[in-house]
Amino acid sequence: MPPLRSASSTSSVRTMVRVPGGPFLQGSPPWVLDWLDKQGQSFPREWFTDESPPINAALAPYWIDRHPVTVEDFRQFARDTGYTTDAERAGYGMVYGEQYWEERPGACWHRPAGPGSGIAGHDRHPVVHISWDDANAYAQWAGKRLPSETEWELAARGARFRIWPWGDNWHSGNANTAEFYAGPLGSLNEWRAWWRSVYARQGPMPQTTPVGAFAGRGDSAFGCGDMAGNVYEWTSTTSYLYHETELCDPTLRLVMGRYRVIRGGSWMNFRYQVRCCERLHGDPAGWSNFALGFRCAKDAHGGDNQT
Amino acid sequence: MVKIVLSVGWTQRGRTEFEGIEGQLIDVIKSFATDNPGCRRRLLGADGELLTYFSVYLDDKLIPRGERATTTVMAGSTIAIVPPLQGG
Repeated sequence: MPPLRSASSTSSVRTMVRVPGGPFLQGSPPWVLDWLDKQGQSFPREWFTDESPPINAALAPYWIDRHPVTVEDFRQFARDTGYTTDAERAGYGMVYGEQYWEERPGACWHRPAGPGSGIAGHDRHPVVHISWDDANAYAQWAGKRLPSETEWELAARGARFRIWPWGDNWHSGNANTAEFYAGPLGSLNEWRAWWRSVYARQGPMPQTTPVGAFAGRGDSAFGCGDMAGNVYEWTSTTSYLYHETELCDPTLRLVMGRYRVIRGGSWMNFRYQVRCCERLHGDPAGWSNFALGFRCAKDAHGGDNQT
Repeated sequence: MVKIVLSVGWTQRGRTEFEGIEGQLIDVIKSFATDNPGCRRRLLGADGELLTYFSVYLDDKLIPRGERATTTVMAGSTIAIVPPLQGG
């Protein structure tokens, strides 16, 4: 990646949260997998064993963005550096079409649904169609870095375990998920019916919301917003299993050491995919989609004051 | 015969292992997609050609996209087809 000029100032530089760090148990306790098994959701237990049992973690203090990087932030970066994203260079972006994922020509961060779409009125929405390299390039320019998944999880749930950033009880009004729009969703067919209705009205336009739209009720213990849903978020962590011997889906095992951990779920997901300990794994080799963004972090030094 | 393994993310609680006939990698996947219409839209574009967004592993080795056209699958091998977003 070529060196990029640094940002003199951006809106999100001044909106970071200081997390004190410390020891905590990273991941879900086994009772969460038992609970998932009883929920009637679509995936078998071995789909979730990459997040449980928990592992011991300890962090130094750090700063993390209160919200994901926005369209406005990313536009400033692109204007300042001339950066073109992987999706722009590839000439297509991944969107969910009427039936399934499509490689849509021309889809990228400023044309999120492809030609004819745009970002007017979306300045405060999280930027999407961002690859792992794109996210790192922005972070370098902003004088920041991507958070590790451990940093991301602690910022989302605090040192004490909780399922969602606000606690253990689901509230569809607290986060931008498919259930915020469609109500409780019990099956993929119900999700598809919801998505077809969206698609019929808007085409494959990402259903993002302005960052901070769920402030207060949806915030984490540290005051971070949009950590459940809105956009999937890249982390710096190379995918690995917490426990090598844990029974795990074979194709999930294949990406360990290759993919990068993604956290937070997105507007496309059910409640189960936006849990604080939920781990997803993304291909860092240029791939992105219309629900994928990021937030940044930076080290904290003694006595620093970032407001 | 070759074994074709799909991600649970694509099959939910359904079947994840299938059999195919050895041959050129692209042909094996196209034939699999034809025999399993539920997977076709995940694997092939409207022109019937392989989409590029997913990863393909042959006997646990990642096959770069540029080498898919020249890769041969021998009998007894396992092909894993892995989406770019795994887990969840």
